[in-house]
Amino acid sequence: MSSSGLRTSLRTRRWFSSLPPIEWLSLRLQEALIGALRQGPIPQHVAFVMDGNRRFARQSHIETTEGHNLGFEALAKILEICYKAGVKVVTIYAFSIENFKRSKYEVDALMDIAKIKLSQLSQHGDLLDRYGAKIRILGHRSLVNQEVLDAIDRATELTKHNNKAILNVCFPYTSRDEITSAIQSIVALAAPPRPHRQNLETLAEEKPEISDAIPENISQSRSESPASNTTSASTVVSGSPHTSSVPLREHIDFAGVRHRDILDLEDISEQTVTEHLFTADNPPLDLLIRTSGVERLSDFMLWQAHQDTDIEFVDCMWPEFDVWHFLPILLGWGLKRKRFLREVKLEEERKYNRNGNWMKGWEPEEYTHTKKAL
Amino acid sequence: MSTRAVAPPIATTRKKEFEDPKARAAYVKKFLPTDDADDPSTPRTRSRSRPIRTFVKIGFYKLILWVLYSITSLYFRARFVYNFILNRWFSVLYYHHKTPELIQKDVKQLDRLPQHVSVILEFEKEGGVEQLIDHVAEISCWCASAGIPTLSVYEQTGTLKKYISTSHRITSQRLHSYFGKKRPTLRVLAPHLPSYTNGDTEDLPEGESPDLEVIFISSEDGRESIVDLTKTLCEMAIRGKMTKDDVTAELIEAELESLTIPEPDLLILFSPSVKLLGYPPWQIRLTEIFHLPDNDAVGYQVFLRALYNYAKCEMRFGR
Repeated sequence: MSSSGLRTSLRTRRWFSSLPPIEWLSLRLQEALIGALRQGPIPQHVAFVMDGNRRFARQSHIETTEGHNLGFEALAKILEICYKAGVKVVTIYAFSIENFKRSKYEVDALMDIAKIKLSQLSQHGDLLDRYGAKIRILGHRSLVNQEVLDAIDRATELTKHNNKAILNVCFPYTSRDEITSAIQSIVALAAPPRPHRQNLETLAEEKPEISDAIPENISQSRSESPASNTTSASTVVSGSPHTSSVPLREHIDFAGVRHRDILDLEDISEQTVTEHLFTADNPPLDLLIRTSGVERLSDFMLWQAHQDTDIEFVDCMWPEFDVWHFLPILLGWGLKRKRFLREVKLEEERKYNRNGNWMKGWEPEEYTHTKKAL
Repeated sequence: MSTRAVAPPIATTRKKEFEDPKARAAYVKKFLPTDDADDPSTPRTRSRSRPIRTFVKIGFYKLILWVLYSITSLYFRARFVYNFILNRWFSVLYYHHKTPELIQKDVKQLDRLPQHVSVILEFEKEGGVEQLIDHVAEISCWCASAGIPTLSVYEQTGTLKKYISTSHRITSQRLHSYFGKKRPTLRVLAPHLPSYTNGDTEDLPEGESPDLEVIFISSEDGRESIVDLTKTLCEMAIRGKMTKDDVTAELIEAELESLTIPEPDLLILFSPSVKLLGYPPWQIRLTEIFHLPDNDAVGYQVFLRALYNYAKCEMRFGR
């Protein structure tokens, strides 16, 4: 590995910051800053697009994989700050489905890194454990190989009892894929349940229109034992009103949300789609940060971020992203949120004044200008 | 086992603690620091034990936070002043003077131009609809001059959709004032509504699109359109015309494109920060999003800088 000027400066900086008094001071400082941040409004859900690892590696003449490793170090630091400051959910864009188009060598290296880092992160006593965070992998499982899947499952299993915070790792993920699979599962719910496997043979040749019959009648019955299935299926076919007995299976998805099996078409709303996304039970996305100065969402959190989310594009590579980049963003967000809350409160007060009809003629003009500020 | 017997006495007395895992854990525990010493999530237990100290600490933190907010606020103000002057400077340097030739000269050196530009406009009570339509007319003229064939205008509430013919009239008047008699042909449309050309495309051969197409979209073309599509797909599935596996990203893409707008190349915000306000989510996947920090006005310089940014072209300060 070529040791460039940047690399040596990195080393000296590390050596310097590992000196006991410096370390003590910086720890104290960080603690004070984070303690202070906790006193103000803090985003509940933050998402990161960790872009620029490769470009950073190229710029500083190190290997690409090394760039990714440095990126992971940056991530660990940022995660620590987030959880300490009181962020409940952090979502990171680790690997896009589009990234499979990169060279096989790099994809393999990335998978290896993912494997190692996942087990490292979820280890007992490491970062996630310390802050009571559980890890969850959002994405298209079928695209990764078994080894990595095992590592994923192990990591989720190890941390599943933590309940103070969540780390969402988007790994092979694209937002369009997410929305598509949400629509798929809604379609699967709304369209009549293809009869159970064992019924299939009996039904298949008899009457294909069974699908039309079920949705109207299903609401009549909720709790029939699956044992009566075969008989009931035949009643459906014969068209009797007691179709009842396709039991309404309830299933609980990965997010722990209970779904009725059959959905009324009229019940489908934005909420339904939101509930079928990977991020179903997370608080709304407050802040999305993308590094490397590229001003695009790149198929990340499209549904979650297109309304009230504050999107910040930061002009530095991900491995360089640290407290000093992150803190101003958090502070700016806090200021904005504070202003917003104040406005809401004023609005309510004004409404109250108008309705209560007391203080006639008093127009809070001096407050209207605050609305425009920033 | 004879070696055991020879072992020093200490091992024999502590034998139980070394062999039984539970006893070992209990033994080791005495020497470990207490767990919640540096756990940030347990200030509660501490507050019960040392109320005054916690009170002082929280006061201290609040003070720090206040200082931090003041610094940030000062920084924002300074940045605002800086950007304000910069934006003014740019808008003086680059002004179109209602001459398409000047705009063409400005964009001539760009390697690539977006084929579909999208803008987000906000309805403001003071300006009303007139201001909104005026902005649309101006931006349309810039697009027509630069040679961008498609412009979509997002306005959250959908007010613009009610004024399609008015917008067409005002925009073509504005185009006239830019281009003179040979103004570009214009079509104004909105999803689910008939398009409006007002005779602009009469001379055009069949199937040819006009020089500029302006599409009005609103928040109902965002999530709602996806929900509607979902309903339609469900209906089809219930009728047995398709299954869950037929739902693919390509299908949704094609449907949404025909229902609303295709994916824009460049999205220009005239707001000081990036907030999408419900802009169609499916369509902004790879769209370049441009905004100028601390800018609050719809101006030609924003448009031009967005185009320069899109083409990765440096913009010169001193013209």
